[in-house]
Amino acid sequence: MNDTLYVLRAALAGASLLALSTAAVAGAGHGTSAIGKPGKQADASRTVEIILQDNAFEPERVQVRPGETIRFVLKNKGELLHEFNLGTPKMHAAHQKEMAQMMEHGMLTPTGVNRQMMQMDHGKAGMPAMKHDDPNTVLVEPGKTKELTWTFPNSHDLEFACNIPGHYESGMVGKIKNVPAL
Amino acid sequence: MTYAYRAGFGLAAVAFALAGAAAGGAHAGTYDLAIGKTTIDVGSGPRPALSISGQLPGPVLRLKEGEDVTINVANRLDVDTSIHWHGLIVPYTQDGVPGISFPGIKPGETFTYRFTVKQSGTYWYHSHSGPQEQEGVYGPIVVEPKGREPFKFDRDYVVMLSDWTDEKPETVLSNLKKQSDYYNYSRRTLGTFLDDVSRKGLGATVRDRMDWGEMRMAPTDIADVTGYTFLVNGRSPAQNWTALFKPGERVRLRFINGSAMTYFDLRIPGLKMLVVQADGNNVQPVPVDELRIAVAETYDVIVRPGDDRAYSIIAESMDRTGMARATLAPRPGMAADVPALRPRPQLTMADMGGAHGGMDHGAMGSQGMAGMDHSSMPGMDHSRMTGMPAAATARSDYAPGSGLEPKAANGGKFLVYADLKAMKPWRDYRAPDREIELRLTGNMERYFWSINGRKYSEAEPIRLRYGERVRLKFVNETMMAHPMHLHGMWMQLDAGNGRFSPLKHVVSVAPGKTLTVDVPADAIGEWAFHCHLMYHMATGMFRKVIVEPRSAAVN
Repeated sequence: MNDTLYVLRAALAGASLLALSTAAVAGAGHGTSAIGKPGKQADASRTVEIILQDNAFEPERVQVRPGETIRFVLKNKGELLHEFNLGTPKMHAAHQKEMAQMMEHGMLTPTGVNRQMMQMDHGKAGMPAMKHDDPNTVLVEPGKTKELTWTFPNSHDLEFACNIPGHYESGMVGKIKNVPAL
Repeated sequence: MTYAYRAGFGLAAVAFALAGAAAGGAHAGTYDLAIGKTTIDVGSGPRPALSISGQLPGPVLRLKEGEDVTINVANRLDVDTSIHWHGLIVPYTQDGVPGISFPGIKPGETFTYRFTVKQSGTYWYHSHSGPQEQEGVYGPIVVEPKGREPFKFDRDYVVMLSDWTDEKPETVLSNLKKQSDYYNYSRRTLGTFLDDVSRKGLGATVRDRMDWGEMRMAPTDIADVTGYTFLVNGRSPAQNWTALFKPGERVRLRFINGSAMTYFDLRIPGLKMLVVQADGNNVQPVPVDELRIAVAETYDVIVRPGDDRAYSIIAESMDRTGMARATLAPRPGMAADVPALRPRPQLTMADMGGAHGGMDHGAMGSQGMAGMDHSSMPGMDHSRMTGMPAAATARSDYAPGSGLEPKAANGGKFLVYADLKAMKPWRDYRAPDREIELRLTGNMERYFWSINGRKYSEAEPIRLRYGERVRLKFVNETMMAHPMHLHGMWMQLDAGNGRFSPLKHVVSVAPGKTLTVDVPADAIGEWAFHCHLMYHMATGMFRKVIVEPRSAAVN
């Protein structure tokens, strides 16, 4: 891990890291209307429970009406750390790179979040803070339950995915299906 | 579910079949295998070979995790035989090594193996008698897990790689320096071999260049035996074993290196491979462009071919003298481009680092110093780096500057051992109780291979106490990579991943490198421990490991 930090400090003057970090903070999905926005629990028309397994979601499809607000309850019944991230396939691909970086830095481990590392002042190393705090995504540790309420736009091409290295490719991705309004 | 499409011609019966039928309850199965003679033709005409139940490779043994299995192995040869279940944790009397587990299976006899399958994944089985493994006595094992696997797939294929020689292995062996441990290994006399050779009329196959005195081994040679045809599920590159898929499906490929002497560099141009299992154990999935599979290792990968076209599965031998080749296609009869072999690597001084005395450095290949990887020098020059190559070099499986260090053909990611992290951390992970150093030694010109300078017949067994955790430190003092295989117990490969160190049954130690594994000694009995390069094992690179129960007498 020390080797990794050394390389980050010395190589490329952190330029590439800055670009990635900016993306994580601004977030292609951060409040963007193309994928919807964070919703209020009170506005939720229903609750959908999704189980996070190693490495799959149950269920794998959720039907959503235009503009609907859904409260997702996410239960991690696996032994590994998982993510529930709402976005387009392109966003997921970009986020997978960020998550791989977070793993390399030790901020995430295969089984949990290293809160100390997350809070670390990376400013010393010439890097802006990289956190995992966008509203369209939540990390759920093994055995834990988290919630995420989301208001979907009228039409979209969205997936819910786990972008922890290797999980998406193993099949940990689900579809949000557009169904017509009532 | 797994049916391989056989393209075109081919005289050998290489269809995979479900072996045996379940007898008794849902958790008990009986399987019958028979080892006998056959003829195969990999393109150079019919040749005598050995087979299991008439097939080469032998039929896929499909077992279930938790199953109580009964396997009847009949010997239809006129010499002793045996079957070892490579990678399966079984009681030592069922492990199939003549002289250690049991006396072997005499001609005409049937031996019944009985054990409970305590694991799942991809493994294989092969003879542990003489050179029978080279002659065709090998086959795949697929164990279905109790629970669901942490990855999805729509198709599932076994892809068994092997090396075939038209030369009789006895001819090769008979030219090796005669050593008593050869008899321990095979329980046959040299006289019997030569009788067989003349009886089978193999005069034409005995060639002058098989005289090991002149053998080949210039210090820059990488593989001991050349002239192989490389097979995929028993088919030559021209015979083109083919697996079918529908575009967009996830295809699971169970790669098994069932060869006697060949390391393969595996890639599928146009497809990324997601490595999900190594040696039968789940690893955190890692996408790669290419990987090196050592003799006796297995790797399960998932690929997702999206286009309606054929893809070539290419497995180049490490020394680039040939390749095994197969095809992934949406319909039968298709083929994709087969790239030319890449240039033969040259060993460098770094690879010869452990081997002293008599090395003719003038014989080094043209790469010489120029080929050395300067980025690995102390005080790394980061300005030349992109991404994280410093970390990558530090995690390399080869000595800095090695000529054997593989690079992906498309410039992408090549798998290294440090990429393999167990899916679930090992519960009893702790510091080892003690360390045993094992120097891998040998002399290429005299073709003598050993451990700590002693061959099997001269050495004491390695004694372990049940319950202890022993660190084995392999120090490779030779110029060849050695795939070291421990029977009966897992080796936890130490590549910097702590609790997530993967469980392996074979670890490859590169020239001049040191590699450590931690072994939980949790299987009482006597176990074989050897280099899986068949001719190395035969000439002495072998030890018996005895795991003894703890007793009050032990301090």
